[in-house]
Amino acid sequence: MKKYFLLIPCLAFLIVFFIIPIVGMFVDSVYQPEKGWVAQKYLDFFRQRLSRTVYFRSLWMSLLVTLVALLIGYPTAMAVVRVKNDSLRSLLMTLLVFPLMTNPVARTFSWLAVLGREGLINNLLLSLRVLDSPVRLLYTRGAVFIGLLQLFLPLMIISLTSALENLPKDVPLAARSLGANSFKLFTKIYLPLTSEGIVTGSTLVFTGCITAYVTPAVLGGSRVLMLSTLLYQKASVTLDWTMATVIAMIMFLSTLGVNFISRAFSTIGVRRWRRASG
Amino acid sequence: MTVALFVALSIMLGPFLIIFFASFEPSSTLRFPPTGFTLDWFRKVMGMSMFQKSLVLSLRIALMASLLSLLLGVPAAYALSRYSFKGKRTIEIIVTSPLIIPGMVAGLALLRFFVLMQVFPIETTLLIGHTAVVLPYAVRSVLSSLVNLPVAIEEAAQSLGAHPLRCFFLVVLPNIKVGIISAFIMAFITSFNNVPISLFLSGPGVNTLPIVMMTYMEYYYNPSIAALSTLLIGLTLAIVLVAQKLLGVSKLV
Repeated sequence: MKKYFLLIPCLAFLIVFFIIPIVGMFVDSVYQPEKGWVAQKYLDFFRQRLSRTVYFRSLWMSLLVTLVALLIGYPTAMAVVRVKNDSLRSLLMTLLVFPLMTNPVARTFSWLAVLGREGLINNLLLSLRVLDSPVRLLYTRGAVFIGLLQLFLPLMIISLTSALENLPKDVPLAARSLGANSFKLFTKIYLPLTSEGIVTGSTLVFTGCITAYVTPAVLGGSRVLMLSTLLYQKASVTLDWTMATVIAMIMFLSTLGVNFISRAFSTIGVRRWRRASG
Repeated sequence: MTVALFVALSIMLGPFLIIFFASFEPSSTLRFPPTGFTLDWFRKVMGMSMFQKSLVLSLRIALMASLLSLLLGVPAAYALSRYSFKGKRTIEIIVTSPLIIPGMVAGLALLRFFVLMQVFPIETTLLIGHTAVVLPYAVRSVLSSLVNLPVAIEEAAQSLGAHPLRCFFLVVLPNIKVGIISAFIMAFITSFNNVPISLFLSGPGVNTLPIVMMTYMEYYYNPSIAALSTLLIGLTLAIVLVAQKLLGVSKLV
C-alpha cells in the first residue's frame, strides 16, 4: 500500500490538472451534449483552404528543417565525438546544450538583428553593393526556417552524439582493416549502427517544429502562418474556440503519428542490421 | 566535419553574439553593425515597471513550480525506482505525458478547463500549469539518481533499526543530492522559459516575462528587447557553466 501512497499526490495532480483537461478537450471536439457528434469540424479544417495550406506548410517546413538538421548535425556530432581533449569536448557540449536553455523569446529575437531591415545581412549586402535597397527577409518562410533550425539543431546533435559514443570503437577499425572505403564505412557501419539516434533526433526535431510557437510567431507573423500561430489566432483573436480545439487535436495527433512511424522505423532498422550481421 | 561543426555553431550561437552587439546601438532602431556605443537600453529596460513586474512573477512562478514539482516528484520517483507493481507502464505514461503533449495543446486545454472551473485566481492557474509541465523533468532527474543508488545501503540502514522515513532523510536524500539539484535547475529553467502555457493562462496584469517581451516586440522595434535578451542569455550562460562545473553537463540533458 505504501508504494501507491507515495505515487498518489503526483498522479492525482497530473490526472486532475493535465489529463482530464486534455481528454475533456478531445471529447468536446468530437461530441457535444447539446449538438451530438460534431466530428465534421475536422473535415471543415481540411476543406478550408487557409487551414489546409497552413497544415501542409507546417509539415513541409518541419520535414525540411529535420533533413537539414540531420545533414549539418551528423558531421558535427562526428566532429564532437572525435575531440580527444576532455575539457575541449565538455566545452563543446556545453555550447551545444546552452541554446536549449536560453529563453526562446530572447533566442528568436536575436534573428531580428540578423534579418531585419537594418540587420546584418541587409547591411552586408548593401555595403557590398549586391543590393540597392534593403529587402524584406523577416516574415518569410526562410526566416521561420532558419529560426527553427537554430532552435532544434542542438537536439539533433545531442541525439547523434550519444548514438556515436555508444558505437563500439573497434567496429569501424575492423571494417577499415577489411578494406572498406569511407563511403562503405559510412553506409554499412555508421548509418545502421546509429539509426536509432538518427530516428530519435529526427522525431524530436520534427515534432518540435510542428508544435513550436515563438519562432513562427516572431519570424513568420501572420504572413507565414503555421499550425501553432493559426491555433493561437483562432483561440485569442477570433475567439473561435471550436476551430482552435480542432487545430490543437490535429497538431497532437500529427505528433503522435510521427512518433508511431519513427518507432516502426527504428525497429526495422535494428532488425535489418542484426540480420545483415548474422 | 570541422566545417559542419563551424556551421552548426554559427547557426546556433552566432545570433547571440550579434544581439549582444546590437544592444549597444545608440539610435532607436535595431541595427547591426551598431553605429556607436551606449548602455542606455540596459538602464531603460531595467527601469521599466512592466518588465520588472513580469520578471518578479516569472521568478516566483518558476521557484514555486520547481519546489512543488520536487515535492510531488521525489516520492513518485522513489516508488517507481524501488517497487514493482501492476500498471507501472500506465503510471509512467501519465508522469511523462507533459513531455509528449505539445505545449500549445496543453495550454489551450488548461485554459478551457480553468475558464469552466472559474475558481482559481490567474496566478494559481499559471502555477498549476507550470508545475504539470516541469514535473516530468523533476521525476526523471531524481529517478536516474535513485536507480544508481544501491538498495543495499537502505537495507543496511533499516536492518540497523532506522525507521524508513529516517532512512530516507538521512541516507537516501544526501546520496541523491546531485539529482535533486539538477532536477531543480531543469525545472526552474523550463518554467522560466515557458511560453505556450503562459500564453494561454496569463491574464490582465498577470503576465510572465516571455509573454510581456513578445507583446512589447509587436509594438516597438528598438534595442531595449536586445538589451533584455542579452541579459537573459548572459544569465543562462552563467547558470549552465556553473551547473556544468558542479554537476557535469550530462546531468542536464
